[in-house]
Amino acid sequence: MDINVRMRSQVQVIQLRGALRMGPAVDALRQTLEELIANGDTRIVMNLSEVPMVDSSAIGLLVRFLAMIKEKGGNLKLAQPSKFAVQTLRLVGLLKLFETFESDEAAVESFA
Amino acid sequence: MSAEPGDGAQHGKLSELFDRSVAADAEAIATVVDTISQTLVQLGVPEQKRFEIALAAQEALANAVVHGCGNDPTKQVRCQLQADPQGRILICVTDPGPGFSEDHVPDPKQQERMYADHGRGVYLIRQLMDEVRFERPGNEIRMWKY
Repeated sequence: MDINVRMRSQVQVIQLRGALRMGPAVDALRQTLEELIANGDTRIVMNLSEVPMVDSSAIGLLVRFLAMIKEKGGNLKLAQPSKFAVQTLRLVGLLKLFETFESDEAAVESFA
Repeated sequence: MSAEPGDGAQHGKLSELFDRSVAADAEAIATVVDTISQTLVQLGVPEQKRFEIALAAQEALANAVVHGCGNDPTKQVRCQLQADPQGRILICVTDPGPGFSEDHVPDPKQQERMYADHGRGVYLIRQLMDEVRFERPGNEIRMWKY
């Protein structure tokens, strides 16, 4: 799992590449999110265009951080989720919890 | 070949494609799942079906590691991949744990469980696969994709 974080218009954009599943991938994403929140960054976009698998441990991580970030007045939004990421989130009834966008730009602009 | 009489009667003779025991470790099971995906590509299984089988295998193996082995990498989980003459796929995952009762699996779509950080694996498997059975005492899962 490759994780690349960059700031765009006061929004942190996380680009993920690879399967997001139990083990090093989920652990690395958890650490990334914890570091962002510790720095006071609660406006976050996660690009899932190159994530072919999102397992239940990753889903648990995403919803836990979504709740935590919203409590702090921010949001965690999804950009370009792959069709299988969308299918998985829909299967467990959680797609509706996330705002999703067709591009990083649209997701970033939605925070304005 | 390790089909049970019931499986044989219902699905015909099974061909073994893959049988591997690995350490109860997240990276080891990821390798197994990736190997299953590659095997399905070689069999010409369509992408959608491959995704559903691979994610179900990931969930079953993760459950085996966490619940069946207590995240102890000195223990092992076994994964078998088989196909019947009609191209239907069977995956069996076995762990050395005491097993569990399906009755205790909550519905993750209940409002009060929306933000829970666990408890979706078995639900996902049931959504992704066509037939799912836990063998007594619950430490082996057999799941079919038609």
